[in-house]
Amino acid sequence: MSVHPNPGPAAGPLLKVEALRLKFGTREVLKGVDLTVRKGEVVVLIGASGSGKTSLLRCVNLLNLPSHGKITIGGEAIYSANPAARDGNGVPLATVNRIRAQTGMVFQQFNLFPHMTALENVMEGPVTVKKANRDATRREALDLLAQMGLADHVGKYPRQLSGGQQQRVAIARAMAMHPQVMLFDEPTSALDPELVGEVMKAMLDLARSGMTMLIVTHELGFAFEIADRVIFLDEGQIVEDGPPRDVLLRPTHPRLKSFVGRFHETADLLRPFLEGS
Amino acid sequence: MFHFDVITQNWPLFWAGLQVTLFYSAISISAGLVIGLVVGLIQLTGSRTLTIIGRVYVEIFRNIPLLVILLWIYYAFPIFAGLSITKFWAGFAGLSLYAGAFYAEILRAGVQSIDRGQTDASTALGMTYGQRMRRVILPQAFRRMIPPLAGQSIIQIKNTTLMSMITVPDLLYQASYVSSFTYRPMEVYTMVGAMFLVLLVPLTLLSRRLEKVSERVK
Ligand SMILES: Nc1ncnc2c1ncn2[C@@H]1O[C@H](COP(=O)(O)OP(=O)(O)OP(=O)(O)O)[C@@H](O)[C@H]1O
Ligand SMILES: [Mg+2]
Repeated sequence: MSVHPNPGPAAGPLLKVEALRLKFGTREVLKGVDLTVRKGEVVVLIGASGSGKTSLLRCVNLLNLPSHGKITIGGEAIYSANPAARDGNGVPLATVNRIRAQTGMVFQQFNLFPHMTALENVMEGPVTVKKANRDATRREALDLLAQMGLADHVGKYPRQLSGGQQQRVAIARAMAMHPQVMLFDEPTSALDPELVGEVMKAMLDLARSGMTMLIVTHELGFAFEIADRVIFLDEGQIVEDGPPRDVLLRPTHPRLKSFVGRFHETADLLRPFLEGS
Repeated sequence: MFHFDVITQNWPLFWAGLQVTLFYSAISISAGLVIGLVVGLIQLTGSRTLTIIGRVYVEIFRNIPLLVILLWIYYAFPIFAGLSITKFWAGFAGLSLYAGAFYAEILRAGVQSIDRGQTDASTALGMTYGQRMRRVILPQAFRRMIPPLAGQSIIQIKNTTLMSMITVPDLLYQASYVSSFTYRPMEVYTMVGAMFLVLLVPLTLLSRRLEKVSERVK
């Protein structure tokens, strides 16, 4: 039921998170997370509110600085907390910014730049951060926006766009940096129900094109459709990690059982069809 | 009886005073904006030391009356420092430092009013602190800051009259001088008030217009 042809077990790990811990003050919200994502793999992160999903995602691009652990993208250690180092973690800022550009992040609240048009939003990263050629960037940005079904809206400001359109601009903005992995934090939670589908479709297209994705979502049906693997996070720890049909349809952990309960009511009816596929 | 000839006969003095007032307004607003930008921004870098330095500066100049600042710089500072200071520099420094403290607060409030998500999004694209400020945060913050900046600048123009106390020959100083030999304070000070009204009412209206515009762009 995987969306894209074959990530294949041969593909090496693109993103590797080891023994990751994150503290806010004295409170530890991530308590030793290990996670490997292969190239082209789509991993969905689920869990109750406050379980640390957003925090984990924000650690991967170092919007949150972990208190312990190691993060590797494409074989390069982007973060390696060294308790012996004086500041407690030792990554030079220049490296951090270069690495961040290798991950694309899509936020729940879109966070588009309101003083820029859709096109300018998409061009901003390559032009400002990568000092890319303006004309080439413009062509590529127009292309990305067209792929997102926004060809008619490139000159509009975010306030002139619907939530669904804004979120698709945000996806294009992140894609314009040619990230190795895309991070999505509840990309459809802030949308009116009738706009959810268009954003999901854009994400499915992205997954089919072979993009490596780490997605936080509460839409379990969508998770089932898009994920190669589903991870259940509970109180800052991964308690279940497997193919969607195992995690979502045959949960073993009691918390996961109750979490997917609402999904089950429909899934139970569908099980014969899902398993037969 | 209002004797207009008191004004007309001494118009060159009023005119010279007005020019001094406008000159000091312009240079102290400009320098104040530069100081405010620097002091406002260093408080936003996240560096503790820089934040404290910024706060101390802001609180000193916001809480000491401008007149006291001017008198201190002109009369007390030379004694401390063992050097002499001209009234030009005393007036310029006092007004600019005072304005800078208020502008810094406006800038800080403006920047902090920008949604955190904007910082997240620009950081996630790999932007440095400078790039974030220049490309994302400040362009949005400046729009919100236009009304308070205009308001503070109007106050600043009025505040230049305090320089007459350290004998800078501004409009008020010249007026007091004219009054001292014509014995016509009614005409003289009415004229000073009228001149400020003519100068500042249009600016106030303009700032209100800008406020509406900045609300629209949000
Ligand atoms: N900046 C912060 N400072 C202090 N505590 C924080 C901060 N951000 C998150 N937390 C806390 O960390 C815990 C995990 O938060 P996180 O946002 O990662 O959860 P989540 O799984 O994304 O939840 P939700 O489904 O509600 O988005 C929560 O208890 C939250 O209150
Ligand atoms: Mg969250």
